[in-house]
Amino acid sequence: MDRRPVSRSIGHVGLALVIAFGVLAGGAGYWQVFRSPDLSSAADNPVVIAAARDVVRGQIVDRDGKVLATTKRDANGDPYRVYPDRSVSPIIGYASRRYGTAGLERSYAAQLIGVTDPDPVRNLLKKFESNPSDPQTLTLSLSLALQKAAVKGLGDDRGAVVMLDPRTGEVLVLASTPTFDNSAIANPATEDKGFAAVRDAASQPLLNRATQGRFVPGSVFKIVTAIAALGSGAIDATTTFPNQAKAERDGLVVNGFRIREHPGVPVRTFDLAHATEVSSNIFFALTGLKTGGANLADYAAKLGFDGNVGFDLPVAPSQVTNGNGSAPGGFVDEVELANASYGQAETFVTPFEMALVASTVAHGGILMKPHLVTALTGRSGTRTVAPEIFRQVISPNEAAAINAAMVRAVEGNLGKQFTPGAAVPGIVTAGKSGTAELGGKGEPHSWFIGFAPADNPQIAIAVLVERGGRGAQRAVPLAGSLLKTYFDTVGR
Amino acid sequence: MAVVSVAILIGSISLALAQRDPDAKPGGLEPAEPFHLAVYLGVLWLAHIAQVLAGRRTDQVLLPAVGLLGGISLLLMERLPQNLVVQTLGDTDLGLADVQLVWLVLSIVLAAAIAVVVRSDRWLRLYKYTWAAAGVALLLLTFVLGTEINGQRLTLSFGPVSGQPSELLKVILVVFLAGYLSENRSLLVEQSTRVGPISLPPVPYLAPMVAMWAIALGIVVVQRDLGAALLFFAVFLLLLYTATGRPGYVVLGLILFVVGAFVMYQLVDHVRTRVDIWLNPFADPSGAGYQVVQSLYAFARGGLLGTGLGGGLPLVSGRLPIPAIQTDFPLAALGEELGLVGITAILGIYLVVIERGLRIGAAARDDFRALLASGLALVVGVQAFIIAAGNLKLIPLTGITLPFISYGGSSLLVNGIVVGLLLALSDKGVEPPPPPRQPGRLARLTRRAAG
Repeated sequence: MDRRPVSRSIGHVGLALVIAFGVLAGGAGYWQVFRSPDLSSAADNPVVIAAARDVVRGQIVDRDGKVLATTKRDANGDPYRVYPDRSVSPIIGYASRRYGTAGLERSYAAQLIGVTDPDPVRNLLKKFESNPSDPQTLTLSLSLALQKAAVKGLGDDRGAVVMLDPRTGEVLVLASTPTFDNSAIANPATEDKGFAAVRDAASQPLLNRATQGRFVPGSVFKIVTAIAALGSGAIDATTTFPNQAKAERDGLVVNGFRIREHPGVPVRTFDLAHATEVSSNIFFALTGLKTGGANLADYAAKLGFDGNVGFDLPVAPSQVTNGNGSAPGGFVDEVELANASYGQAETFVTPFEMALVASTVAHGGILMKPHLVTALTGRSGTRTVAPEIFRQVISPNEAAAINAAMVRAVEGNLGKQFTPGAAVPGIVTAGKSGTAELGGKGEPHSWFIGFAPADNPQIAIAVLVERGGRGAQRAVPLAGSLLKTYFDTVGR
Repeated sequence: MAVVSVAILIGSISLALAQRDPDAKPGGLEPAEPFHLAVYLGVLWLAHIAQVLAGRRTDQVLLPAVGLLGGISLLLMERLPQNLVVQTLGDTDLGLADVQLVWLVLSIVLAAAIAVVVRSDRWLRLYKYTWAAAGVALLLLTFVLGTEINGQRLTLSFGPVSGQPSELLKVILVVFLAGYLSENRSLLVEQSTRVGPISLPPVPYLAPMVAMWAIALGIVVVQRDLGAALLFFAVFLLLLYTATGRPGYVVLGLILFVVGAFVMYQLVDHVRTRVDIWLNPFADPSGAGYQVVQSLYAFARGGLLGTGLGGGLPLVSGRLPIPAIQTDFPLAALGEELGLVGITAILGIYLVVIERGLRIGAAARDDFRALLASGLALVVGVQAFIIAAGNLKLIPLTGITLPFISYGGSSLLVNGIVVGLLLALSDKGVEPPPPPRQPGRLARLTRRAAG
């Protein structure tokens, strides 16, 4: 008969409780130390809301020191925000007592108010200071001059332009049109009218089209397909498809569905560079089928399609498919995969994500972590944000092959017909235009992504004009002129 | 010697309390606060002296440790806005700290009274089924006559007096389990039905106990009091293991728990909501997840060292950010103002209380007392764990109190009873236990059948 003393199992129970309480202490440590910085700077944390009422927020300035956001005081002496140039309104957002915050004013609320210090040690010691608030001035990599040029270029159209330095991930332009009068929302005297004007507008100015708008990509998506195909080893730069010539003439039959080529593509078999130059749907459909849905979805994820790329503003997720299907990668069947491979089907992307795709090809297959804020300056000094590698997506050789193909698309004899005006005079430019068919009536979305100079890329660009017509009509010449402006002003 | 150490410990507690006190309200102390402190410490001292004078050789650490937790509670209630609770007594309005002080004092007095008066456990040992019946009756009464607060029917009101009987029920459950398990312990250990690698408990002996558990659990779930259900079940399992020393029972219990939890999640909206909030409170930070998110924000604001007493909890539109902070989230408030260091210390004090209780159990002269003492310690420990883990998003949040710290009369009084019983059990001078009883009639029958 087992008569082990009860005291022994009491010891076990005691040990279990000690472990359980150890877990509790660990949990407290997780929230109080490990997660403390990001939770304490959340825009809806009461400490941030409370501090925001009477603290003068730090300024926001562009790369040249031009003021993008500053503070004035009303008749009662209460501070309110003023935004000198509305071309940056989708980035800066607003800080209003009544309507809360948006944009960088939201994501950097804690730093602008100064409730958290970028330096963890100072943050810890802060509670011992008499005036703990140390509002930070944000310096952005943004170029106000280029931003204004982009907004002016988009004109009355709705659209977006993203330009970034592929070597560092610094964003120079993040334009979304229409812009809005964020000063009117921040000013207590005009806040109601100002907010009502943008909230009810059919053009949805509060939607940052660059980071939050999701659009059918059309042919610019072929670069994603190329990245997946080369990266997974499904094809190389010399791969050709023997059945292509016939498909170019009669259409490519996938599971009984016939994919047709657009006019102007020669009826023969050719490789990646040639296919990119003439923007062959058939070639990229065949490439996508060979690559497979799993690889396509996988490489899209590697390129940051889920939107979690550590950017300073929230980025909507892009997608290659709804993911409802049971075929690899979430595709419904090979028909969807083939169509997605040249940017139709259920493919939706943000202009920001397509700029990252161009940037990855430009920087030898390395995607740098994109960022807007390059420095935070307060009483305690300046902390700069260093460039960071987000991921090596493909090898330099594979990137070089796509780079060469994109040069052909802009500089090649046939390519020029699709991309008139993209090339910057005197500088070898790489790119890909896109015409996103939306079905039904109306103009397609006009796209261009690219970078320059092709042999040593300094700037990557993505341009989207909603319902702007064929790529060549609207996005391509705008991209060309913005690249030229870049090299005339910022670039050396 | 022991008395001296207690004196020193209590002295240091009083010093610590006094030192912390000025920080509690920067910009002037309210006159009531030194009075609160004096009353509280005075009663704590008296409780100790009463035991010494009565000649009881009770545990020397338990009361000071509990007293420290109560002191933290008093400080916290003084720090929170007093208008969270207002009780009118005659012409005077009593605020949060006043009311809490009254309950703390009553609770200590109750503990001391039990520790001094109770010298025999016969009244608990012999009438376990009566106690169980009384507990169930109490619950049924609550269910029929109870007042509904926040969608939970937990409160029983008699005129001006109201209380939450499920608090008392947990003590009754422990008394019953201790009685039942100690009587049938050898049989539970000895006999088993093997199914594959798992040895199951002998069915006839577990049946009444499982029934008791199921009744309690069922009523509690009908009352939507998940915290109490979780507490009862955990204490039940731990006591079963303590009595039998067989992990198989715990495994079986956990399987039952997983099945039960899954069914509840599917069937009961209330449970599903709680679990969904737990999985991702940030999905709806200003709606369903508000309380939990604000709790985590409070912990995060505290950081390593805390903001200092009175230095945290920024008001949102004139209100504290966390609803029900004084009952359900005192740990979040303490976490903000005392930091990780303070939280770790508080968890440490709970471990001291648990350790003392289990030690009393391990040193007890027979199984009933061992199980009773460990059961009482487990009630405190498991309850503290459940609500602390809920505050820290380690498990879904359930609305039970943090023992000795949360605001609330029922909780404090019942925990006073727990401490009193533990103190009484710790005295080596209590009446010696009766000789082991013959196994139950059922056991004799089966044994005869087997033989």
